[in-house]
Amino acid sequence: MTEGIDITTSCGPIALRSPILAASGCFAYGQQFAAFTDLRALGGISTKGISPLPRHGNPLPRICETTGGMLNSIGLENVGVEAFLRDKLPFLRDLGVSVWVNFFGVDFETYVDCARSLGAGQGIDALEMNISCPNIKKGGIEFGTVPEVAHRLTRACVEVSRVPIIVKLSPNVSDIVAMADAVQKAGAAGVSLINTITGMAIDVRTRRPKIATRYGGLSGPAIKPIALRMVHQVARALPDLPICGMGGILSGEDALEFLMAGAHCVQVGTANFAEPGACVRITEELRGLLRALKIPSVRAAIGSLEAHAAEPEHLPQSPWSFG
Amino acid sequence: MTAAQFEVRVEANRRLSGGYFLLELAAAEATPVAAAVPGQFVMLRGEWGRELLNPRAFSILDAPDDRRFSILAKAYGEGTRRLKLVEPGDRLVTTGPLGVAFPRPAPGVRDLLVAGGVGLPPLHFYARMAHRAGLSGHVEMYYGGRNRDDLVLLDDLEAWNVAAHFATEDGSAGVRGYVTAALAPRLDLAAREGQAVRVLACGPTPMLAAVRRLVLERGVQAHLCLEENMACGFGVCLGCAVPVYGAKPYRYCCTDGPVFDAREVRWP
Repeated sequence: MTEGIDITTSCGPIALRSPILAASGCFAYGQQFAAFTDLRALGGISTKGISPLPRHGNPLPRICETTGGMLNSIGLENVGVEAFLRDKLPFLRDLGVSVWVNFFGVDFETYVDCARSLGAGQGIDALEMNISCPNIKKGGIEFGTVPEVAHRLTRACVEVSRVPIIVKLSPNVSDIVAMADAVQKAGAAGVSLINTITGMAIDVRTRRPKIATRYGGLSGPAIKPIALRMVHQVARALPDLPICGMGGILSGEDALEFLMAGAHCVQVGTANFAEPGACVRITEELRGLLRALKIPSVRAAIGSLEAHAAEPEHLPQSPWSFG
Repeated sequence: MTAAQFEVRVEANRRLSGGYFLLELAAAEATPVAAAVPGQFVMLRGEWGRELLNPRAFSILDAPDDRRFSILAKAYGEGTRRLKLVEPGDRLVTTGPLGVAFPRPAPGVRDLLVAGGVGLPPLHFYARMAHRAGLSGHVEMYYGGRNRDDLVLLDDLEAWNVAAHFATEDGSAGVRGYVTAALAPRLDLAAREGQAVRVLACGPTPMLAAVRRLVLERGVQAHLCLEENMACGFGVCLGCAVPVYGAKPYRYCCTDGPVFDAREVRWP
């Protein structure tokens, strides 16, 4: 029924069989989902963020639910580059979907080391450089908030990476376009928009923050309007910069909103927790919706947003007279 | 055993005393929850729309046949408040069975099942399994609550001939005080008589912390069934970290637990 709808797309140099990818931090390294869903139906998987050395993560509580979303402060727990390449990458490579390895460092040098070491892995389609995680204490924050710093870091990583680098930007900035512009000029193949928004929740009975590190990253449908606005701003200002959109996508319609706003592909994050088959369901919903709206392909949907008709100029008297 | 995600319908929502409710759930066909053992859990979510995203974790109370299972809960937050209101025929999405169960009965070791409030289900299930295996005499239940109404499903224990000892904060049933007040003398008796005992416990974290101190001081083997916030239940969100001693500072309540050796847990 929905055959004939072309859902192939690309994010810059990265060809994708489907615009629906699983988002970093919400899909681990993929294996856990194999029991629940057909991973080969995905456009791609962005891995849990990898750092040069393993990290054990933050004290608990690490997560709490909020209206229409959740806060997390996991602390970038991951197995480290070496174990990732040895134990996790082969599984992902064999799926035949686009493999995006999300990575980060704790300072300038470790970012560059990480980009270089991950280049040794076979079957990585892109590196997704995380300059935006709110849950890392040391340094970090300037990478995602100061355009000149983001530019320098991106350039250094692009120079050592064998595969395209997509930079995942922080929404916790006042000018998202300036950040996107800075990383594009440094050679980024695209940007992922958006990471979580910093937030807080309090338990009044215990008088404690609901997560141990006080602030965490807000995800889920609560942040979707902000994500769409940022995707649209960047798409309009930098039409040549490919965008992977994300933020609270739970349905095919949500995904289509991001495509219309200018995203070339999207990632599904928080939805995977409640529904391990969410990415596959959303892909089918998107196909059905494109057909229903008579949009022949995903590519035709990208950036197809139209403006509201302009109002005629106000005049003190109506130009229309009735004889 | 592989977990699955599947839809169930509410067959009954039984209101018990103390604000507890017991949900009897049935899938259209056989599910892997049929093979669940005490300590394992399921994630449950109703048709909650976009406001409330994540499923909630519940210990399995029983799995009487290959399509059915039940849970026991109390309204605590928004998710459990909505679950308390479900009616026969309502649909819920289930993921399970998940987690590592309590160890099986060991020959020559008596199991002291220690339950506090909402921590009853896995131990009630354990007692039920012991009864089915003809091992009722192998287990003893120590069950604590706020008051008499807070203790539920007592008839089952009696029907299974499981020795039960109670503790209530107001003294309306059993000894006055926390469940540890009933447990401590029993552990001391076992020590005096050289009797091999093992503690299997589930309940609120402060209760488990007290049980943990009690058993560690006395060198008694114990397995604690823990509770943590979890978004997924199958090892992906990493939200349900449990501080432990050992090679790594954290393990996961959902995939490494929820049952942990008391010596392993890194609590104050």
